[in-house]
Amino acid sequence: MEVSHSVKERTIAENSLVILLQGLRGHVATVDLRDESTATGRVTNVDAFMNVRLAEVTFTDRQGIASRLDELFVTGRNIRYVHIPDEVDIRATIERQLEAIHRVRYFGGRDKGRKEFPRAKPK
Amino acid sequence: GVAMSFLKRFPPPAEGVRHQQPDTEAVLAGRSLGAGTLYIAESRLSWLENSGVGFSLDYPTISLHAVSRDLNAYPWEHLYVMVNAKFEEEETKEAPMTEGEEEEDSDDDVEPIVEFRFVPSDKSALEAMFTAMCECQALHPDPDDEDSDNDYEGEEYDVEAHELEQGDIPTFYTYEEGLSHLTAEGQATLERLEGMLAQSVSSQYNMAGVRTENSIREFEDGMEVDIAPVVAGQFEDAEVDH
Repeated sequence: MEVSHSVKERTIAENSLVILLQGLRGHVATVDLRDESTATGRVTNVDAFMNVRLAEVTFTDRQGIASRLDELFVTGRNIRYVHIPDEVDIRATIERQLEAIHRVRYFGGRDKGRKEFPRAKPK
Repeated sequence: GVAMSFLKRFPPPAEGVRHQQPDTEAVLAGRSLGAGTLYIAESRLSWLENSGVGFSLDYPTISLHAVSRDLNAYPWEHLYVMVNAKFEEEETKEAPMTEGEEEEDSDDDVEPIVEFRFVPSDKSALEAMFTAMCECQALHPDPDDEDSDNDYEGEEYDVEAHELEQGDIPTFYTYEEGLSHLTAEGQATLERLEGMLAQSVSSQYNMAGVRTENSIREFEDGMEVDIAPVVAGQFEDAEVDH
């Protein structure tokens, strides 16, 4: 289970439904874009800003013309909808992602604990 | 037709260039701009024709990019970049651009879309070009994000401190960060304890509880304290740096 290497991104993800999209990694999903084109492909990455990376994509432009794209990166800003595939258990996916984040945060190994979240320094 | 006046002369970017691809044709809305070098830099995406003129695109204007190897859709493998911007002079009334850009009615919601294709002569470079663009795009998150709950700016958001206010979630310090939070008194105590660990044997020989300097002296009078030499590695799992 991969989580972001960035403290800030983990925090953002944990507090938004982007965490669900991140759990779609490996699944084939359809993304509706703002300009009404759509992209269907295998999710390879979703970051905290909802930028979505897809592979083996069928891209249908707003005129309805389809083409194949090997890889596609679409910015979060330009996404209107992400269709959650039927086979995905939404609750379980969110829980799994949260667990992964908490594993990284709280259970760093012996000398390898991530130096995350130092307390706010006293003012 | 396409107004070429947006092409300007400028020096190639020098900093933060994640990928540079020479011998790359730039195609704007179906019309070739010639051969040049594509610079995928952290600040912006630039293309410079071999003659020295070119253009730059700011990442926030790029809605998506992709690797296209579908020769039915376009005869050459290329990096496809879709941009939310106009590429025409303001004075001239252009007919709607071919292939992709449409002048929708005065509907404010629909922004102009312009399609760029960057066709490298070296097709095997497309992966690297795509990845470099992903990395650079990620450096420019949307400032207009509606998620106003954005106190993640600057200082790392202290989730731990926040959560402690809400409940008792166990937290851990790594050795280094724990150290930095000790007061002078805490430091002294730590040093004393470390010293004791270095001298003492495993717990069966120790009195329960922490012994101060004074209490050690006390016991030394009456009791035979059997202090065995420290076995190397005995305290390996203690997070103590000697």
